[in-house]
Amino acid sequence: MSFSLKRIYAIFYKDLKDLMKNMFVLTTVLTPVLFAVLTVQSEPLHFDVHYLIINLVFIMTTVFLQGAIIAEEKEKNTLRGLMMSPATTTEILIGKSGLSVLLTIITLALCIRITGYEFVYANALFLALFLSFILYLAMGTLLGLLARTVVEASLVLMPLMFVFGLGSLLLEIISDYPSLVFLEYLPNFHLQFLVEAVDAGKAFREVTGNLIVIALWMVFVCFLTVMVYRKREVDGK
Amino acid sequence: MENILSVKSLKHVFSKSTAIDNMSFEVQRGEIFGFLGPSGAGKTTTIKILTGQLHPTSGTALLFDVPSTQVNQPKYLKKFGVMTDNSGLYNRLSVYDNLHLYCELYSVENKQKRIDEVLDMVNLMDEKRKVVSKLSKGMLQRVTLARALLHEPELLFLDEPTGALDPANSRHIHHGLQELNRRGTTIFLTTHDMLEAESLCHRVAFLNKGKVQLLDEPSKLRRKYSDDTLTVELVTGEKRILENGPKGAQKLYEYMSSGQVVTLFSNEPTLGDIFVDVTGRSLV
Repeated sequence: MSFSLKRIYAIFYKDLKDLMKNMFVLTTVLTPVLFAVLTVQSEPLHFDVHYLIINLVFIMTTVFLQGAIIAEEKEKNTLRGLMMSPATTTEILIGKSGLSVLLTIITLALCIRITGYEFVYANALFLALFLSFILYLAMGTLLGLLARTVVEASLVLMPLMFVFGLGSLLLEIISDYPSLVFLEYLPNFHLQFLVEAVDAGKAFREVTGNLIVIALWMVFVCFLTVMVYRKREVDGK
Repeated sequence: MENILSVKSLKHVFSKSTAIDNMSFEVQRGEIFGFLGPSGAGKTTTIKILTGQLHPTSGTALLFDVPSTQVNQPKYLKKFGVMTDNSGLYNRLSVYDNLHLYCELYSVENKQKRIDEVLDMVNLMDEKRKVVSKLSKGMLQRVTLARALLHEPELLFLDEPTGALDPANSRHIHHGLQELNRRGTTIFLTTHDMLEAESLCHRVAFLNKGKVQLLDEPSKLRRKYSDDTLTVELVTGEKRILENGPKGAQKLYEYMSSGQVVTLFSNEPTLGDIFVDVTGRSLV
């Protein structure tokens, strides 16, 4: 299988140029920074709030940007052009993720700097963050592939933000409704449980369960994304 | 001559309707093949199946001797180009940026030179730096064509390539396509413009309700459906129809020897006339 960094860079560079002229998407992805600025006024911040912001970055920047980029490609029929070019599925998906990766890192770094969050340097935490990042990237791609337009992608983002972005606020709701207990298997909660455990000084093997849940989510969403992409290749639209 | 494209008993059914019904034909390497039919006849669906964007319900389509369901691999995608009516250009980027991206995707060498060549061919050199969203529909169509030509494909699929163009630009594009074909590119052209088909295509297929109803060279079709008559216009303004044969020859001799003939022309039907005759439908 051929793999061309030039093609990946060409797709990434095109997205970067395009984004500079797309104020709607650009301002939306920077919303978590504004949220961080507002929350930092009420010190001291509990780590719940830090992870609320980190999850918000994953949803508003990673998922939304990735979803909007792919949905617009579909809406304007440009994704078909990429699919009909010699670029492979891997090259297209990596190229199309480049901008989301870059902006997520920038937004995350800005938010952490603003809120002054200090990471507990634990391998488990960085692995969990990395797996979550890939998971949300795939989720954004899936959102873009399923939505017909950018507006539709924005609308779908609302429930996603409620489920994945609210963090401990949603946990409180779940505690009032036992029938919703299955929601505790969501990857964002397991990231939070893992952080609590690491913060309390627990070892890697004690948080393996959380890592497995996040990893399973990541594999499942990545698999689903590739399946939907392959189906889109031959749907004739 | 070698077939570059071969379609056998192809069928495609959408949820409620049959778009393509038992279609069979071949396209030879080096020819311009016209696929003619009114809107909704199945032209675009056929192109989508041939280029691997859609899988057929049944039957086979071979492109470069490979089933169309497998042509979406990079080594085959480099060999053909597609231009559809749906522009698929990045609106916020310039014409140059759009073409440059595709040069990278197709690993085109001498990008700058090649972009200039294709823009010259579609008569858009002056719009090179213009943002795509500022272009007219006809210009968009020409940029899409330029994009399909960038990698010098062996086989080019063109879906109504001059549909939104004025006559001058259509002529410019026709010359460019003929030049491309002289250099060896096979062209599969769908159109409902019979004049375009007559002037460009070596062979044409008439498509109606998902079926190929007739397939031959335009000149042969015209002869086949000709009623074998001539019309003679006389100095008096009268028009006389003469049948091919001794009687008609005698009459023509009389008119000509007495200096009464202003003009004479054959009554061969146009491709449009033949289409209506065969399918009972007009081409619009």
